Amino acid sequence: MRMEWWILLSVYIVAAGILFFIPKNKIRLAAAAFLFNQVITFLIGLVVVELGLLEYPIRLFASINRASFTFEYLAFPVVCAAFSVWYPNNRRLLFQYGYYAGFSSVLTIVEVIIEKYTDLIRYIHWEWYISWITICISLFIVRLFCVWFFAKGRA
Amino acid sequence: MLIEHLILIIMWLFGIAGFILFIPRKDRRKGILAYLMFQAIIWLCDMPSFKYGLLSAPVRILPKATELTITINYIFYPVLFSIYYVHRRINSRIWSKFIYFFVWVSAITLFDSVIERYTDLLEYKFMTWYWMWIYIGFLAYVSQICCNWFFKEKAMVHMD
Repeated sequence: MRMEWWILLSVYIVAAGILFFIPKNKIRLAAAAFLFNQVITFLIGLVVVELGLLEYPIRLFASINRASFTFEYLAFPVVCAAFSVWYPNNRRLLFQYGYYAGFSSVLTIVEVIIEKYTDLIRYIHWEWYISWITICISLFIVRLFCVWFFAKGRA
Repeated sequence: MLIEHLILIIMWLFGIAGFILFIPRKDRRKGILAYLMFQAIIWLCDMPSFKYGLLSAPVRILPKATELTITINYIFYPVLFSIYYVHRRINSRIWSKFIYFFVWVSAITLFDSVIERYTDLLEYKFMTWYWMWIYIGFLAYVSQICCNWFFKEKAMVHMD
């Protein structure tokens, strides 16, 4: 099996592992963040591929979907769920900004490494900082959604 | 403009308008969650269905990026499910719940079969209308179980 498939497999295992660590009392927050992130990422991911900015040469469901199912359906939403669950609500604003920057940076660094050394993703008209910015914005939108969703007077 | 494109536009408009008009303000959170849940499940199930050629979508948006039908999976059916979910009566008898479910699934299947037959938006290969009924029934049932689970407990504020 090629290295790329091992990476995809390990993404699934790690994602499942992260879900396992989410505290039971925050599981609804995790689910809401996961689902809402998926809605954003799935559509934007497809648009980006359609415009030819990015390419995923090795991917799941290759014959029908040219975007990365693994990243957009599972990996990023899971990370986003973790992001929301452990969000440092009570810390200083600077710490919260750092939290955003930390998540975005780790994801971007992993993506850049994967781009460089494997065929899982290939940048065409894309740069690492676009990834960083879009990831950061997605996290922010999901955070806004979750704050609204779980605010007073819920269903 | 092709009739297919017109239908796609109508589905988008109806999806957006339907969500605004037919989901009461107080049920907005419930509606959104039902929308998200159905959307996630239909994507997951449609991936293998399209991959193994049960059905296909010749006319679609973002045709280069995906073979799947974004309009239906992303907005139209999820919004219809969301409307279904917030309007169902929780305390009614089991058979009236079943009839409500039955009617909804049948209506979606009918719509699906009609656009399959008369347009190029969908094309059944190994799929037939009764399998489609079961498929949509399955999607709706699973989504409903997940949503019911989500709203089971009153205390669901854990944002600190």
